[in-house]
Amino acid sequence: MSAYLGQIGAIAWKDLLLELRTRERVVAMGAFAVLAAVLFNYSIDRTVVRPQDIGAGLIWMTIVFGGLLGVGRTFHLEAEDGALQGVLMSPVPKDAIFLGKTLSNFVLLYIVSLLVVAVFMLFFGMELGTSPPMLALALALGALGFVALGTLFAAVSSGTRMGETLLPILLFPLLIPVIVFGAGATGRLLSGRPVSEVVGNIRMLAAFALMAVAAGSVLFRFVVED
Amino acid sequence: MSGKGMRLTGTALAGLGLLGMLLVYSLSFFWVSTELSQGVAQRIFYVHVPAAWTTFLAFGIAAFTSGMYLWLRDERLDRAALAAAEGGMIFATIMLTTGPLWGKIAWGTYWTWDPRLTSTLLMWFIFLGYFMVRNSTENPEKGKRFAAVVAIVGALDIPFIHLSVVWFRSLHPDPIVLKPDRPSLPADMLIVLLTSVLSFTMIFLGLFLLRYALETLRAGQQARAREATA
Amino acid sequence: MAPESASPPSATTTPALEACGIVREYGPVIAVAGIDLSLERGEFLTVFGPNGAGKSSLLGLLSGALRPTRGDVFINGTRLDFGAVDWRHDVGVLSHQGFLYAQLTVQENLRFYGRLYGLTDLDSRIPERLAEVSLADRSNSRVGQLSHGMRQRLALARALLHDPDVVLLDEPYTGLDPSAAAVLRGVLTGLKDGRRTVVMVTHNIGEGIALASQVAIQVRGRFAWQGSRADVEAVDFERLYHRVVEGRA
Repeated sequence: MSAYLGQIGAIAWKDLLLELRTRERVVAMGAFAVLAAVLFNYSIDRTVVRPQDIGAGLIWMTIVFGGLLGVGRTFHLEAEDGALQGVLMSPVPKDAIFLGKTLSNFVLLYIVSLLVVAVFMLFFGMELGTSPPMLALALALGALGFVALGTLFAAVSSGTRMGETLLPILLFPLLIPVIVFGAGATGRLLSGRPVSEVVGNIRMLAAFALMAVAAGSVLFRFVVED
Repeated sequence: MSGKGMRLTGTALAGLGLLGMLLVYSLSFFWVSTELSQGVAQRIFYVHVPAAWTTFLAFGIAAFTSGMYLWLRDERLDRAALAAAEGGMIFATIMLTTGPLWGKIAWGTYWTWDPRLTSTLLMWFIFLGYFMVRNSTENPEKGKRFAAVVAIVGALDIPFIHLSVVWFRSLHPDPIVLKPDRPSLPADMLIVLLTSVLSFTMIFLGLFLLRYALETLRAGQQARAREATA
Repeated sequence: MAPESASPPSATTTPALEACGIVREYGPVIAVAGIDLSLERGEFLTVFGPNGAGKSSLLGLLSGALRPTRGDVFINGTRLDFGAVDWRHDVGVLSHQGFLYAQLTVQENLRFYGRLYGLTDLDSRIPERLAEVSLADRSNSRVGQLSHGMRQRLALARALLHDPDVVLLDEPYTGLDPSAAAVLRGVLTGLKDGRRTVVMVTHNIGEGIALASQVAIQVRGRFAWQGSRADVEAVDFERLYHRVVEGRA
């Protein structure tokens, strides 16, 4: 078991180390987050609608679109020198490869999602709301579900002629639950509703994340085999 | 069942189903009672509920056979998934085109985020993803595997999607909403509904068998062509 | 010389590497059309052949990178099972591509693969391997800064890091200047220690024959010619090669 976890760790660490060296994805996602908030500001007529009312939805949309940027490139790291082949031929079980990649993608996306919330709070004068820990949990569970499906389908789309352009088409329908429950929980928390009102949403987010990680672990091997 | 037997059964089923639909139409226009609050507009229910049910059924079959395909690698299972996915997409398309049209005529609005229609819309897109992925790989075997993965994940996701869409809708109730069909239905409505469900299912299964038989023929032809060049 | 016929796992000694009627199809394209081979421990098979003959696919099948459409591969008598991972400890592959991460250093690359293979003595093992391929002084250089020849050597070190019994090499001499080729020759000669079984695909007839104990010529997915080192030395191999390749073209 510890060997298994060690392999997951090795893969996740390698991805994060590469990200540290190149800073490709985190800069792209971070810049996107800030710019999206700016664009949203100019697309809203503040005399008609309060940003606080739609803030939760905008936050989640920004996370999803930004997340797509990052997760779409998760297999580009290995594409250059065929490194994915090398990893696939090693004694690491395919589900461990999936979990390692999902873990590193999760770390990246979670950091970016916290950034998104911070930026939106800054630009739109929003408060943290009822329970920052609950908010952090909702973001984490949503990010995990997103990243798990995103990693699986990034592997799929990188094996097609269309490549990354296929990713939104595949992912968006599947991510509706994350948006609905995530934005639902976030909106309530930000507008001061009690935690009891979001517990149901959090549970759904957790169940979804569990499903996504389990499905990805089992199905990844069928996607990467040749 | 041989290819010919399948085609015959398929045609028979589809034919029976279509006759059933004629029956349903006549029943729903002339026989069944009118629902109290929504009036005649409610009768779309007898087409939409079965259409949604058939789409779910198609999805389920596609996902199940896809899973078996990944496990057993039997080409026939993949062909079954393909046939089911096509059938499902057709029924979803029918529902998505008739739904808004009916909504405009009956209530003046094309789209009301009705959970049934919304779920069907999302299933339609997942089916689209299935076909796009299937046809966009260099190696056709890979495409079949990718498509199978899409179908399986889609099926696992559908419960979540449906729950989220229903929950969202409950927060924003619309006066123009199709009455939920959970409370006990009067007997005559139930009869029409069940007849409709049965007819739709028969049409779908008939089309499914026909499509499966067609794909088997095509696969056989490809295999013969390959042997000729080898 | 006629191609050898299929041989079931031998009763006397288990072949180190064996393939029985392996076929690999990509949809309508048949890359490997039925190949049998049987190698005892310590043998070195060199495979020649024109481009498009399916040699890379053959190596892919032997290394477990590709699933055979038909047929089986046996390593030390055990059938290659795609689901299992343990047998992967016994196989090392050097491919066209280096499987290396350009932004990581030489050390980091080897450490990563070492962890994947569950190796615990990396602190001593890595310097050893690097010394073998004459890269000890570039340990902390980023792979992106290395020349092609150096990257090839690093890829070889990576392939051999976990001390595999079966080594598969896909055109290792391509793009190497004479000094890099000499280093490679040295390492490959070192592989002929009686313990390791090697299959090498190459276009370099001189190097290929010098190292081989068995030779095969693959044309259009099949072994059109197979023979031992003695058979090769008895003929003008280049002539034979052209005849075989054109004869089947």
